[in-house]
Amino acid sequence: MKKHYSINRILVYVFLASMFIVSVFPFYWMVAGMTNTAVEVIKGKMTFGNQTLSNITTLFTTYNMVRILLNSLKITVFTVLGTLIVSSMAAYGFQTYASPAREKAYSIIILFMMVPFIALMIPLFRLIVKMHLLNTHIGLVLTSISSVFIIFFFRQSFKAFPYEIIQAARVDGAGEFRIFFSIFIPSMKSTYAAAAIYSFMSSWNAYLWPLIILQTDKQKTVTLMISSMSSAYFPEYGVIMTAIVIATLPIIIVFFGFQKYFVQGMLGSSLKQ
Amino acid sequence: MLKRKFIILVVVCLFLIASSITYAESAEKSGTITIWSWDPNFNIPIMKEAAERYTKDNPKVTFEIVDLAKADVEQKLHINLASGVTGGLPDIALIEDYNAQKYLQSYPGSFADLTNKIKYSDFANYKASLMTLEGKVYGVPFDSGVSGLFYRTDYIEKAGYKSEDLNNITWDKFIEIGKTVKEKTGKSMIGFDLNDGGIMRIMMQSAGKWYFDDKGNVNLLNNDALKEAVKIYKAFADSGIIKQTNGWSEWVAAFNNGDVATVVTGVWIIGSVKADKASAGKWKVAATPRLNIDGAVNASNLGGSSWYVLENSKNRDLAIDFLNKIYAGDIDFYQKILTDRGAVGTYIPAQSSAVYSSEDAFFSGQKVYTDFSGWIKAIPAINYGVYTYEADAAIFSVMPEVYSGKISIEDALKKAEEQLKNQIKK
Repeated sequence: MKKHYSINRILVYVFLASMFIVSVFPFYWMVAGMTNTAVEVIKGKMTFGNQTLSNITTLFTTYNMVRILLNSLKITVFTVLGTLIVSSMAAYGFQTYASPAREKAYSIIILFMMVPFIALMIPLFRLIVKMHLLNTHIGLVLTSISSVFIIFFFRQSFKAFPYEIIQAARVDGAGEFRIFFSIFIPSMKSTYAAAAIYSFMSSWNAYLWPLIILQTDKQKTVTLMISSMSSAYFPEYGVIMTAIVIATLPIIIVFFGFQKYFVQGMLGSSLKQ
Repeated sequence: MLKRKFIILVVVCLFLIASSITYAESAEKSGTITIWSWDPNFNIPIMKEAAERYTKDNPKVTFEIVDLAKADVEQKLHINLASGVTGGLPDIALIEDYNAQKYLQSYPGSFADLTNKIKYSDFANYKASLMTLEGKVYGVPFDSGVSGLFYRTDYIEKAGYKSEDLNNITWDKFIEIGKTVKEKTGKSMIGFDLNDGGIMRIMMQSAGKWYFDDKGNVNLLNNDALKEAVKIYKAFADSGIIKQTNGWSEWVAAFNNGDVATVVTGVWIIGSVKADKASAGKWKVAATPRLNIDGAVNASNLGGSSWYVLENSKNRDLAIDFLNKIYAGDIDFYQKILTDRGAVGTYIPAQSSAVYSSEDAFFSGQKVYTDFSGWIKAIPAINYGVYTYEADAAIFSVMPEVYSGKISIEDALKKAEEQLKNQIKK
């Protein structure tokens, strides 16, 4: 019996180890690529080299890396804040003031999850041009803060929030905004953290829409820069890998920093019921 | 009464301001030229060099050179042109030659007609013809994808051949040499992606043919050059002389690693060939192999792109003047970009300059650019039509069955032609 158990165990670990290698290897190669020259990367060198410094120097001298990183950061922070406030308020409204008409409106909004972005792109682009928001970060942020998925996600979690608390607060004389900001948000922290991670990742990695809206190198985001680097007769893979490592760092930091809340938030709605 | 006087005063003032502005403009050019382009190691620094040269004589002109990926430039152009708003468009955009007709035909009136503004006779013949639509020429020709046969002298000699043996050969001869090279050195003759249409396009253009005829009609089935090209692709797959690669990096790795004896592609690969410093002095370039059919020559092209001015841009005339002065007039500029970036332009007057005839130690002292310049003039001029990449995809969807011998080449081309016609509705 015991032997059987341990063989099973070994199989599980072998499987887990191979999955671990499959998922970690790209990251390893990315970091290794950062330390090699373009030719070495192309030749398939997998070990660490000594080109890190020259790759970083090339990256920061050829491209306006600091400015581009700040652009990405600015857009992402404002998008995340905007998304959290707007989407959670919408979800709060749908949940707290439920009525048959509002349910219908909610269903229609949810339906918009099915519409691919490509279909909206040209009308949205015309809108942005007419509003003179082309090549501005505000144009990008404004069009990104209402996320149907986040509204849906918030509403699902809000269902777990006891309505009685809201009623009690009303009896005590608290206004709706007071209830929302002083009672609701603090007790829904993990949901907000999960939504923040999701929204951070999608905004930081956003590619197509920033590409359409942003017009100059000054306004560019990191994703656009990396994309432009790889389109070349002779791509500088070492430098590209360096840029990718730098672009990945914030995501890793945010994800691991909030990981605890992320799992809580995702499970939250089902566990509390 | 007072009101009327005021209005007159305003009108006079406006007139004065307006006339002074026109006066300033005629005296000195000013404005910002926005340019969309790709390749941070090639087109972008080349454009910056051009801008610097222009601003020396026109200090009030500024440039906004936007560095995007090639696919991104195309995407942005499509969105902007399709949406019908012109506010977001640049003054100049770089467009790949294969796609030029797609833009010119899909968005008529969007690009500036440069027929009488640029002296096209100064440019390689094939280049001007691909940007011509209904008798009007759009765009300013830029870099050439003139092709060549890069080869490792050490491997070729070890196999018992001399450089002369590779001059002006046919693809059949190429395969024959490849077999000996494989036998004597153990090296593959060429790194080859069986799913990539690059060499097929080189083969077709060397015979003055394309996936489409002169009028833009699909021409796969009754296309001698294409039939021969497919035959050679199959021969490559069967003969065992190729090192199969998958995608760009593997293909570059094949010659950087010294695994293959030759590379057949556009001149723009020079940077990647030279990147492997260990093989310096072991490379040379011969003329592109030709197809074994009538009218085929030992010169062809792969890729290359050109500058286009947007018709509705604010600084259209300024942009045209800029391109005219630098890209269609500055020989020194072409020498500089060849030295700095290995960029071979299609501006003929520049090709008799000193830099073009310098010897290159990497290529055993061969005057490679003199040779490429000679081949540029021999590239057959053809109409790429609108759907080059769609045709490429149709052909390569049937190629696996050709390689496995499941269907004959005729049947395969028939199938591909039907598929392509279905897709583009022609």
